[in-house]
Amino acid sequence: MKSVRLIAKAMVLPFAISATSALAVDKSAVLDTYANIAAAKYQDSLIAAQSLQASVNALLVDPSAEALQAAKEAWLKSRIPYQQTEVYRFGNAIVDDWEGKVNAWPLDEGLIDYVDTSYGGPSDENEYAALNVVASPKFTLSGSEIDASSITPTLLAETLHEADGVESNVATGYHAVEFLLWGQDLNGHGNGAGARPWTDFAAGNACTNDNCDRRGEYLKAATDLLVSDLEWMAAQWTEGGAGRADLMADQDAGLSAILTGMGSLSYGEQAGERMRLGLMLNDPEEEHDCFSDNTHNSHYFDGLGVQNVYLGSYVRIDGTVVSGPSLADMVAAEDASLDAEMRGKLSATMMALGLIKTTAEAGFSYDQMLERGNAAGETLVMGGVNGLVDQTRSIERIVAALDLDEIEFEGSDSLDDPEAVFQ
Amino acid sequence: MKQIIFALVYLASATLAFGQGEKERTQAIVNEHILPRFEMLADKSADLAQVAQRDCAARSEPLRDAYANAFDAWIAASHLRFGPTEIDDRAYALAFWPDSRGYTPKTLKTLIRTKDPIVQKVEDYAEVSISARGFYALEFLIYDPVLSVEGEDQYRCDLVQTIAEDISFLAENIYMDWKSEYARSMIMPSLAGRYISEEEAVQELFKALSTGLQFTSDMRLGRPLGTFDRPRPRRAEAWRSGRSLHHVTISLSALRDIALKLAPLGSPLERRVGLAFDRALSQLAKLDDPVFASVAKVQTRIKVEIIQQSVDSIREIVRDELGPELGVIAGFNAMDGD
Repeated sequence: MKSVRLIAKAMVLPFAISATSALAVDKSAVLDTYANIAAAKYQDSLIAAQSLQASVNALLVDPSAEALQAAKEAWLKSRIPYQQTEVYRFGNAIVDDWEGKVNAWPLDEGLIDYVDTSYGGPSDENEYAALNVVASPKFTLSGSEIDASSITPTLLAETLHEADGVESNVATGYHAVEFLLWGQDLNGHGNGAGARPWTDFAAGNACTNDNCDRRGEYLKAATDLLVSDLEWMAAQWTEGGAGRADLMADQDAGLSAILTGMGSLSYGEQAGERMRLGLMLNDPEEEHDCFSDNTHNSHYFDGLGVQNVYLGSYVRIDGTVVSGPSLADMVAAEDASLDAEMRGKLSATMMALGLIKTTAEAGFSYDQMLERGNAAGETLVMGGVNGLVDQTRSIERIVAALDLDEIEFEGSDSLDDPEAVFQ
Repeated sequence: MKQIIFALVYLASATLAFGQGEKERTQAIVNEHILPRFEMLADKSADLAQVAQRDCAARSEPLRDAYANAFDAWIAASHLRFGPTEIDDRAYALAFWPDSRGYTPKTLKTLIRTKDPIVQKVEDYAEVSISARGFYALEFLIYDPVLSVEGEDQYRCDLVQTIAEDISFLAENIYMDWKSEYARSMIMPSLAGRYISEEEAVQELFKALSTGLQFTSDMRLGRPLGTFDRPRPRRAEAWRSGRSLHHVTISLSALRDIALKLAPLGSPLERRVGLAFDRALSQLAKLDDPVFASVAKVQTRIKVEIIQQSVDSIREIVRDELGPELGVIAGFNAMDGD
């Protein structure tokens, strides 16, 4: 009997110790890596947005085709780190509550500036779809008279953004700036991005499409706001920041936040809303960076963000690496084959998103891929969608394997006696 | 020692019993909840296609009746968004809603205005934007005062017939796939299959329930409710055909059925789930407002708000009690994201 017990103990003990120590040590270390990567990504986004701000200021001081081009290039670069942060959105309330200010999409751009006649006017969903603030120093919004004689960050953030409670009234963030730099993409499914002339920002008689001063004022206000919003978010992830503190408050909830962010971005947001829906609608405007034709990169860097959060290693915009104990390490300790499955699927997704990116860069642009009956485009886009859907199943398996499924939810607040109302 | 062995045996048999329960539960849901719904959808959609061939006029009563029956059948199955409904975008093509950017009228108008010949063959029509396919597009053509008279009668008639036929193809294909292969893959999970364990199959069914409840609360009720300051009655589902409230009732009845089949038979939880659904359904029965027009008035919107709260209290029981009871999580769904 004694020998049996000894064997049993000998068999059980090593597992018990390694499991306990692996999990106990790893949880806080894994969360630490996740928070460090968030800090680095938002800091990089801020640095890139500041460079965009410098280019925008240069454009406004001395408008020229070259200056507009430089601002566009700075915008494109600024998207690279920012898109990689999107994996933090859905798991972290502090990010999700804030995100709409900087990356809201899709937008009814007629709210901001002039649009082509094919755009249409106010719609059932949005009375202000064609408001054109650049051309309107005064207007009525939901019954109130608005003084927009000076276009300031405050006006954009507090009055115009999501005006009338309509989400597509996007007055701030990357896509508002994108529209002001590129203008509408009127090429339909044809190749080419928006082609706003630099003279839309020119002074005096050189000014095209009127209100160049106000357009410049809008561009400056939106860019300044983007920088200050990113400054705020970067601060939330430094030592002592609220994003970090919320994450660390409960380790299991923190791990769950990582996986929620990965799964929600992969499935509902990217595979569904941003990729598959656009394909099914065959609409060239249903692409995430539609003015600049940068959607292939937007998708690619979203996917990369999911992958680098799982692997716990992020390459910064200056080439330095932020890394540490990762969710991948933790999963591997629990179930090595599940970790291999997850890594394999993330790689497959990146391969598929990479194909979209390289093909678009070679000249077959994302809006062409969405065209009705374009089988090659559909195959490319669906490759990305399928990869993202498939990786979500493995993310769900990880949630189950790490026993993160018993998270406490808030109680209910129903009325005391709702039946009375129906009597 | 004996005690320990006894405990171990007991534990093992409990696990075994649990496993069998899951298999039977999945089997019952597939055979009694899922297959009959998709069979009904296929049948009623075939009727719709036939009626449209004979009579394509927007005001035709037989057409409107056939449309109503097929749409009812879809709503009763609309929570079952996995497997065969997701192949080739079938469910999206049957039911593109909400359409917050107004794609459906825009795309239909373009087809009619340009007399796009793609409408001549139903196989080609599968290439068309989902916004101009399925029940919601057909609703515009039959009920919208502008689109039901737009352009040439003949073209619009072709469009009605092709969309109805397309619906019928989609419904038939969904049912065929369920019957031929998918039902089996759910009932008999295998390492090589889509569901590697019984838990995964149960999780899929649980997810259908929780996502269906979320859709009914957030979209079917939440969209017209809008906010207190800015109600949005025109965002109600299928208001042109007067079906908004009706859809909430059909979907909740279907969700009630799957919820009760998931809950342990004869348990207090089963009873509580049933009561929570009954409460919401009885409130709906008393609401005399087919398109939720009442949300626009302060005095009357409270009833719709309360119905939404009743649906949300079902969601809480499902999430906090039924989920843990089944040992599954809701997982990710298409409504994650913004």
